[in-house]
Amino acid sequence: MNIENTQSQMRKGILEFCILSIIRRGEAYPSDIVDEMRAANLQILEGTLYPLLTRLKNADMLTYRWVESNSGPPRKYFSLTEKGNTFYQELEATWKELANGVKALTSRQDSLPNSPEQPITN
Amino acid sequence: MKKVININFQGRVIPIEETAYELLKQYTESLRIYFANEDGRNEILNDIESRIAELFSDRLKKGATCITDDDVNAIIANMGRPEDFEAADADLGSQPQSAYSAQSSQQNNSSSQTGQSTVPPQGFYRRGRFSRNADDKIIGGVCSGLANYLGLDPAIMRIVFVLLFGALFWIYILLWIIVPSESMTSNITKRLYRNPDDKVIAGVCGGLASYFDIQAWIPRLIFALPIVLGIVGGSFNAMFWDWDWSFGPRIISSGLGSTLFIVYVVLWIAVPYASTAAQKLEMKGERIDLNSIRDTVKEDLQGFKSRAQNWGNEVKQTAQQYGSQGMQYGAEFGRSAGNARSGVGNVIGIIFKAFFLFIAAIIALALFGVLMGILFGGMAVFPIKDFFLEGFWQNAFAWLSLLLFLGVPIIALITWLVRRIMGVRSQNRYLGYTFSSLWFIGLLCTIFLFSAFFRNFKNRAGVEEQIAITQPANNKLYIESVGATTHYYSDDAFFDWDGDAPFYGLSHDSVMMKNVRVNVVKSKDSLYHLYSVRFSRSNTNSKAKELAQRINFPVTQKDSLIELPRGFAITSKDKFRNQQVMIVVEVPIGKKIQLDRSLEEFDWFNINANRRRGFNVEWDNDDWGNSLGWTSNVEYVMTRDGLTRTNDLDPVELKEGRFKFKIKDNGVQIEGEGTINTDSTQFKKHKGKTKPADEKEDETVSLRPHSGSVSTDVSPLLMLSSYL
Repeated sequence: MNIENTQSQMRKGILEFCILSIIRRGEAYPSDIVDEMRAANLQILEGTLYPLLTRLKNADMLTYRWVESNSGPPRKYFSLTEKGNTFYQELEATWKELANGVKALTSRQDSLPNSPEQPITN
Repeated sequence: MKKVININFQGRVIPIEETAYELLKQYTESLRIYFANEDGRNEILNDIESRIAELFSDRLKKGATCITDDDVNAIIANMGRPEDFEAADADLGSQPQSAYSAQSSQQNNSSSQTGQSTVPPQGFYRRGRFSRNADDKIIGGVCSGLANYLGLDPAIMRIVFVLLFGALFWIYILLWIIVPSESMTSNITKRLYRNPDDKVIAGVCGGLASYFDIQAWIPRLIFALPIVLGIVGGSFNAMFWDWDWSFGPRIISSGLGSTLFIVYVVLWIAVPYASTAAQKLEMKGERIDLNSIRDTVKEDLQGFKSRAQNWGNEVKQTAQQYGSQGMQYGAEFGRSAGNARSGVGNVIGIIFKAFFLFIAAIIALALFGVLMGILFGGMAVFPIKDFFLEGFWQNAFAWLSLLLFLGVPIIALITWLVRRIMGVRSQNRYLGYTFSSLWFIGLLCTIFLFSAFFRNFKNRAGVEEQIAITQPANNKLYIESVGATTHYYSDDAFFDWDGDAPFYGLSHDSVMMKNVRVNVVKSKDSLYHLYSVRFSRSNTNSKAKELAQRINFPVTQKDSLIELPRGFAITSKDKFRNQQVMIVVEVPIGKKIQLDRSLEEFDWFNINANRRRGFNVEWDNDDWGNSLGWTSNVEYVMTRDGLTRTNDLDPVELKEGRFKFKIKDNGVQIEGEGTINTDSTQFKKHKGKTKPADEKEDETVSLRPHSGSVSTDVSPLLMLSSYL
């Protein structure tokens, strides 16, 4: 069991949710998404973002539009579909549940009611 | 000074340094491999490339004249390498980090730490001194260190050393002693994997192709050709020589084909699948050719030259080094070499250990040889299985026994060796379970096979038949066996038996048995009679009888000469069920019989398989005189008490001056033998238990009463006197 693995599992679980929550606010360019996430102190590699976007797009959660760019090739701007929106709502509900639950658990300081009197040392 | 080239990237012309271009190419290629199994593969790659192109344009717009290594490395660091994706994708602790990813991620870490400037290109490694590899070793780490030094796969080095075991043994020991051990990170740029993207059966050939940088059809052809030829040749054989039996074993057993078949299976089991992108990259790897090896050596030689210049300095260092090395060996081999602490002691320790390994290797090789011997011996015996086995199941069991019971341990052993050499650690226990259970199935098959085999010999039945003969004119019957003395070995004979084999010849569909016995008994009337009794065994009595009736053993007569065939043939359809022929000759009292020496060619043996006695084979091949009551080429006369030797001795015996006599009358039997001294006509030897009961002239003869005592009414010793 190593900490990095657990951390990356945690991050991976919420990655899609985070991306959808950014795109929800309007048409987004992938590097903008990366910037947004980094600004929120969530590390992501651009290289992992592209396949994720493509997967979401292929699952009809996202759609995109070509926009001419003055610095390089035309850009793909992503936006949520109807389906993506409901998907996001569900994820949000789940996230709130989880966040509340985790918060409730992690914020408690009292000891467990049924724990043995002598603390086990090892 | 760097060369700048223009490339067309995503529809734009980009001026880029050549080295940067190489980096970019490698990177996109690695992505291509990583996303090979992804659905929207092209789209993803396109997106990434266009993003890179955008970043390039950005860079150029800001005034850069061209794209440099640093730019590319910065972009790559931002985008992430496949290994980084993998780390992000990784399932909990399932995949061990391969050497490649370890190395590459190290590079990436350093790049993200130091900013973006000093990332070495992929495949670059520091070419250090030649030292033994402490981290990756089987014996002393010599092969691994050498491979590291030359930039080769340790597996190749190890295979070279194993193949040239004899020649390189001492070199290995020498290097082991001289070269210091050092912990080094692997710099393998290329490893043998099975290729999942280019496979027909298991990806072995695809992996080999990418390892050696050749077209995949080359190894495929090499592996497939002997098998194809085997099948084609086998069917031709089957057509023209009607050898349908050889069709099966031919494919697998024909030399090269079988070797390649085993090699393929072993590689299949031993070589890991390139399942992750990093492994796929490792599989393609950096090109290793003679040039790169030569460069390495050249570089090092130059270093050596400069070192030689301050040689004097180094002598001192070396001396010190040796001292410390000695200590090092002490730590390393102290355990195996006992209490050796000094440098010399440890050299002895190493040699000790080396010899131990040497002997262990010889034992392992011998074991391997024995297993192979059993397997190929089994294959050699296989053709004659048709004589023993009948029906689908017995044949199936035989095949399974051969393949699983004998073949699996061999494959397992080779697999273990290859994995050991390749440095592949077994990840799953299923391989072991599979081998064990296959072997267990083989064991069961062998048991079934043997029980079925023994059941074939359970019941015995005989068919008796009288052979009509005309009575010999001179009251003496000769019996001999006739026929070609040539052994029926054809060019498809499988054994080179000596004359002691219980058959003359063996070919794929018939065997010439000589399981024949001639018994001489007293006739009830005054006529000679001849009977033949043919025996066979089988699992049921009626079958045994049927098989016995199929034995063809024609007896012919020429005047007083009875001619028996040399043997009888059984075909693979009849099966070998211990068929026997017993010829019984009834001799009337007072008449003579002589059995020719040719009858000694016959061999009689019994195979027994019943519950009480188990399976056993009784051979009756040594002492004919004892078991049959007659010796060849000796004239016998039938008396009331049985067969009696007339005093005609062998001409050979007569020449030597030996004599023998035997008198039987009224329950008293007198036997004697001795040697005549031809010079003095005196008997020299005495043999017998009692003192002479009878003396004639001056000769002394010792006599031995057989039963009772010599009584006075013994009839005159005619035979003795007639001889003397």
